[in-house]
Amino acid sequence: MSIEEKVEDYKKTLAMFPNPQEKYQYLIEQAKKNEDFPQELRIDEFKVNGCQSQVWLVPEEKKNKLYFKSDSDALIAKGLVTLIASIYSNEAPEDIANSKIDLMEEFELGVILSPARRNGAFSMLKTIKEFSQKLAN
Amino acid sequence: MIKVSDLKKDFPIFEREINGKRLTYLDSGATSQKPSVVINEMSNVYTNMNANVHRGTYVLSSETTTKYEDVRNKLKDFINAYSADEIIFTKGCTEGFNFLANSICKELSPGDEIILSEIEHHANIIPWQMAAEKYSLKINYINITESFDLDLDHFESLLSAKTKVVSIVGESNMSGMLPDIQKLNSLIKEKTDAIYIVDGAQLVPHRKIDVQELGIDFICVSGHKMLGPTGIGVVWGRKELLEKLDPVYGGGDMIEEVFYDSATWAPVPHKFEAGTPPYVEAIGLGAAVDYLSNLNMKNVEKHSDDLREYAKKKLENIKGLNVVHTNSKLAGCTFAMSVNGVHATDISLMLDTFGVAVRAGHHCVQPFHRKLNLDATFRATGYIYNDEEDFDILSDAIEESIKILT
Repeated sequence: MSIEEKVEDYKKTLAMFPNPQEKYQYLIEQAKKNEDFPQELRIDEFKVNGCQSQVWLVPEEKKNKLYFKSDSDALIAKGLVTLIASIYSNEAPEDIANSKIDLMEEFELGVILSPARRNGAFSMLKTIKEFSQKLAN
Repeated sequence: MIKVSDLKKDFPIFEREINGKRLTYLDSGATSQKPSVVINEMSNVYTNMNANVHRGTYVLSSETTTKYEDVRNKLKDFINAYSADEIIFTKGCTEGFNFLANSICKELSPGDEIILSEIEHHANIIPWQMAAEKYSLKINYINITESFDLDLDHFESLLSAKTKVVSIVGESNMSGMLPDIQKLNSLIKEKTDAIYIVDGAQLVPHRKIDVQELGIDFICVSGHKMLGPTGIGVVWGRKELLEKLDPVYGGGDMIEEVFYDSATWAPVPHKFEAGTPPYVEAIGLGAAVDYLSNLNMKNVEKHSDDLREYAKKKLENIKGLNVVHTNSKLAGCTFAMSVNGVHATDISLMLDTFGVAVRAGHHCVQPFHRKLNLDATFRATGYIYNDEEDFDILSDAIEESIKILT
């Protein structure tokens, strides 16, 4: 699936939950499914700055495709970073770097993607883009 | 007596619904909501009389200047200052502390000491740290006890001839602690010639303050936490001390005479107020002071105390909830909370879905959070427009949120 298709998929899923509480519960479920983050990778090198909670994103390159492991000490943020990581995983660095899609415009996720917390999600995306850009070059 | 159901009608924001629910606003520790009289008064200035203050020789400027200067009188009465000249307008408490730290510490000698407490807001730490580094001063922190109060024995042990400044919170924005200001003042004055500054950011909105009775030297006040607009605050100081201090900001309106190589300062308070002041905000604050005075600060105090009693019992009964709150008989209606294994931002995002607004984070009290081994807490603070129902809704929402998140 391309980045755009995955975003479209998540959009449809999120639209099934009309109120913010259900959307958060969906993110919490995603967070709980994301269990394979090794404790030893919770280090500053992989920490995403600008989030209210602690968020870690670890990129990995396999056969010219990027994969992201993610974690957070807060559940809702972890759900969000899990979702973002899955959108950009299994994609070529240049596809990620060239992707023009604005997740914050696409997803209606209440206050967690509002300007008040935009820094957090924005930093997650920036981290992914920067890494992809470096590899694409 | 404050009747919340009537009083709420003065605050247009409570007509709003959040996520289809009634707004349960419990973040007044961060900023208070504004009554119509404040909003309308600011609008009135811009609509009918706007002109820069202290400058124009025309009707508009004269009207605005009169209104602006009259706010000093209102504040003088509100905190019982000796004179209206002792009221210095600032942007807020943060600017107040930066002004005081810079101006006072400049006169100190290397090795002189400043006493703060472990539970201070960053606004009452960082300016002193910056000045301490610049002038080689030492900062001592008073220990906070396990019940989240000042350790007075430790405080006494820190007082010495080297102590030149004591700057302590008047009402904690985390534990609600209300230090006995008069007692602290007498200890300080007995043992030192230090200046005693009170951080009034949370204190002045909630309690009747009489600076003469307290005997203190300075107090910093935040306008937006006491129904006023943002961008306005006050430093009150004894006139004889203010006269000795140098201004920190230079510019228009603070001078007497200017030459190419030097200048002389205008008298207190104007020498501390360089440039065009936020006069509309100051006038808005004046309307807020009138509103609070009409309610009577004794009633505001009683309301805060009753609500705190109720909220304390309610919150302390929630299973799994840790409440960072003083056990003292008297305290502010402020509760920092945490749930083991649950992040404060998760709880506060969940509470938002119930229409409950609380703050999550370290509330600008990071060192004390670190001491308690907490990354973050979420905090509920009550004010005049909150009642028992707000804390009932909060408690139910916390219980529901814990269920969802654990």
